[in-house]
Amino acid sequence: MSFENPNLSLSAHVASLNARFENTDTVEMLREIILDPSFGELALVSSFGADSVVLLDMVAKINRALPVIFMDTEMLFHQTLTYQRKLAKDLGLEDVRRIQPSREAVLERDFDNLMHRYDTNACCALRKTEPLKRALAGFGGWISGRKRYQGGARTSMDLFELDAEQRIKINPLAHWSRDDLADYIATHKLPRHPLAAKGFKSIGCAPCTTPVGTVEDERAGRWRGQGKTECGIHFGEVARTVIVTDDGFANDDWVDDFHTFDALPTVETGTLAVDLKGDFPAKNLLQWIDKIDMIRVDFPVFSDGRGFSLACQLRLLGYVGRLRAKGHIVADQYAMARRSGFDEVEIDQALARRQPEPFWQARAKWQANDYQNHLRKAPSQAERPF
Amino acid sequence: MYNYTKFDKDFVATRALQFRDQVQRRIDGSLTEDEFKPLRLMNGLYLLLHAYMLRVAIPYGTLSSQQMEALADIADRWDKGYAHFSTRQNIQYHWPKLQDVPDILEALAAVDMHAIQTSGACIRSVTSDHFAGAAADELADPRPTAELVRQWSTDHPEFAFLPRKFKVAVTGSLNDRAVTKFHDIGLRLVQNANGARGYEVSVGGGLGRTPMIGKVLRDFLHQADLLPYLEAVLQVYNQIGRRDNKYKARIKITVHEHGLEDIRQWVEENFALQRPRFGGADQEVLARIEADFKPPAFKNAPIGQFEARRAQDPFFKAFTKTNLHPHKNPDYAIVTVSLKAHGATPGDVSSAQMRALADIAKRWSHNELRVSHEQNIILPHVHKGDLPEVYNALRLAGLATANIGLISDLIACPGMDYCDLATARSTNVAQGIALRFDALKQEHNIGLLKLKISGCINACGHHHVGHIGILGLEKGGVESYQVTLGGDGTQNAAIGQPAGKGFSADEIVPAIERLIMAYLSLRHDAKEAFLETFRRLGPAPFKAALYPKKDT
Ligand code: SF4
Ligand code: SF4
Repeated sequence: MSFENPNLSLSAHVASLNARFENTDTVEMLREIILDPSFGELALVSSFGADSVVLLDMVAKINRALPVIFMDTEMLFHQTLTYQRKLAKDLGLEDVRRIQPSREAVLERDFDNLMHRYDTNACCALRKTEPLKRALAGFGGWISGRKRYQGGARTSMDLFELDAEQRIKINPLAHWSRDDLADYIATHKLPRHPLAAKGFKSIGCAPCTTPVGTVEDERAGRWRGQGKTECGIHFGEVARTVIVTDDGFANDDWVDDFHTFDALPTVETGTLAVDLKGDFPAKNLLQWIDKIDMIRVDFPVFSDGRGFSLACQLRLLGYVGRLRAKGHIVADQYAMARRSGFDEVEIDQALARRQPEPFWQARAKWQANDYQNHLRKAPSQAERPF
Repeated sequence: MYNYTKFDKDFVATRALQFRDQVQRRIDGSLTEDEFKPLRLMNGLYLLLHAYMLRVAIPYGTLSSQQMEALADIADRWDKGYAHFSTRQNIQYHWPKLQDVPDILEALAAVDMHAIQTSGACIRSVTSDHFAGAAADELADPRPTAELVRQWSTDHPEFAFLPRKFKVAVTGSLNDRAVTKFHDIGLRLVQNANGARGYEVSVGGGLGRTPMIGKVLRDFLHQADLLPYLEAVLQVYNQIGRRDNKYKARIKITVHEHGLEDIRQWVEENFALQRPRFGGADQEVLARIEADFKPPAFKNAPIGQFEARRAQDPFFKAFTKTNLHPHKNPDYAIVTVSLKAHGATPGDVSSAQMRALADIAKRWSHNELRVSHEQNIILPHVHKGDLPEVYNALRLAGLATANIGLISDLIACPGMDYCDLATARSTNVAQGIALRFDALKQEHNIGLLKLKISGCINACGHHHVGHIGILGLEKGGVESYQVTLGGDGTQNAAIGQPAGKGFSADEIVPAIERLIMAYLSLRHDAKEAFLETFRRLGPAPFKAALYPKKDT
């Protein structure tokens, strides 16, 4: 009878693979394992993030039909989705499998999509770990793009590892440096992620990613300010916001500072912008009303309608400057915001991704079906037969 | 009746389309349940214990026969063949599927109806006197005002996300059948010393956990100032109403915490800002609505059959004694059709009954029906000469129960049957009481009595304004029914006071029986109603009957 320990044999196998490919060129190694049927079916797991294009390009050149698992956590930057489609097309990838968290599980555990604010580990489990586990079932091994220089637990990573399911995990880029990646991308003239140019060096979910400085560790922008370095922590400041107007999405063109009401500068300086909370008594702003160029009213949650009344009162008091609603406002409230006197709405990336431009455009005709406006007209102007 | 303009029609059609899109986005996940919730609530869609519930607005309770037929069709096609008239002059469907709701809204829009603002933290569907435009005691028809408020409050951009729901009621009669003193805003049509038309505005009334009687904020508001004044009240409330605690979020608490004087000052400041915004079109609209509500052409015909049948048929006579109310035209009567056959669930009606009612109204009530907050249906304009036929038709449909205003004409919320907030059943108590007093053959002898039952402290059954109120609670895992005495929802508004400790589900019906028997022995004569006897004697003898000293 054989008492062979299957795990032992598996780990011995992994050790031999590491020894065998220690000095092999990355592309050569990939070619061998992808074309070697003894590995079983392989998949490439990609985030379509900052450097993902390197591995995708290598794999596409070997076998375009290799399954590529794209983990859409439903919290990604909308630019990532666009980039994913572009890469699939440019590289000719034939089997990109976009996997998402289970709808029931999201409804049950994170119905308001805010779990990342209080429990990033649970959020990553829901949106990454569990879907990936489901997606990998049936595969013999998987290829990942992690690099040692990314730091943390990754510094001691081998080319071949066993994952928790005793599946072989291949890290072909383990020993690659930043410069190696940059060179590869430049040599092969590969398209970059649109956010890479904007200071993002590692790109994951929108709420958990911020740009990093040039000298910072590149994953410093992930879960910034938290102890977390791998999938799981808190809401960092999202660098870019989206401005919604009747014309759709745009970048913020307002570059000056916003002041709180208490810190409004006493001497006149260029433009003047103020941040107000929804319960701010509008009349307290009377003496400033024709000096202010921009007022931004905060909506902490979409169900808090105070800001709508504040906007209306500011307009009634004679404010004619720019009026912006900022925060958690949903597309279905766009017409309300406009009718209450706002010019525009400022939302963050995560919201913009979940409620893309067409949702807002559907409400861009905010003047239609407006009972209040009808009733406020002068009698001669009222449309007949009303 | 009000005729929808092209504007109104476009509005409801657009809304139905928007909701179709929202449902689609909910199903595909781009809207979270959290974000979908206020959108569905603004379209009357609740998520209850077993399923979704759709609440359709019947503004100020007025319906045409065609609309009633459409409601019956919806019950057959998308529900289980019946529906429930609520205490808010609404109709509720308890079994629609989410995917079907857009179709239902479209079917409603086709007959100028909608489910807009029947729930959610917005200005709710406006309610009014169910005898409006017909009652002999009316000063002016409150429905044109109610319709104007409906239009103004519909999709109001500032007030869709208030701290809590906001309810407006309008009455045009001194006998307040619209319970205006227990609404967030109550409007009473009045005239000032110069004969100008206007409103007395009450604010901060309400039932629920903290029942309060509305306070007069303005004793005379000119008719043309109504909408800017409402804007001002709502704007103040929207900004300062509490959002930290949903039980303290209604305007009654805002008024209570800040005091009526401060609220009045802020409202007046705001009103001064709002008034110039209104150019006068609203008054033109009001005039057109009033023209729509002109009374129908009443006929001149003999009423001999009415008296003849009364003389011969004791059942008909009993029906006419309880279910008729004086009409402004003495040849006519207002008929209240009881949806409370003894033992039935108050407010439930089958599609066949709805069609029968639509048909009766078409033939004998100028095509018009009303829904009362007491969960009955009203035929507002029935010529007395037609009454025998109307009665026959009602009997055929199982709708001739002669109990209006009597103990079995009680109000009960759905309680544990449908409501996930319920702490006790309420319909079983309602049935138990109705059956018991029917068996005793005492109801007509007892006379006018308003009994109201709520299945929890939220008081949807309005128990605080019942002459006798019953509140179902839960104590240590068992149902406990608390009795309140002396409530009154009319112009003599009073909040019922708790009588003492609660009764179990088995004890409550016998306890009510003891209470009523005590009243029968205490009253001066058959003309003195329960509430009058209670007011004359105070609670002591009634409490003694509820909690008898045990013999030793
Ligand atoms: S990275 Fe952030 S948003 Fe994405 S799954 Fe993890 S915690 Fe959630
Ligand atoms: S009173 Fe309570 S149990 Fe009854 S319907 Fe209202 S919330 Fe539900």
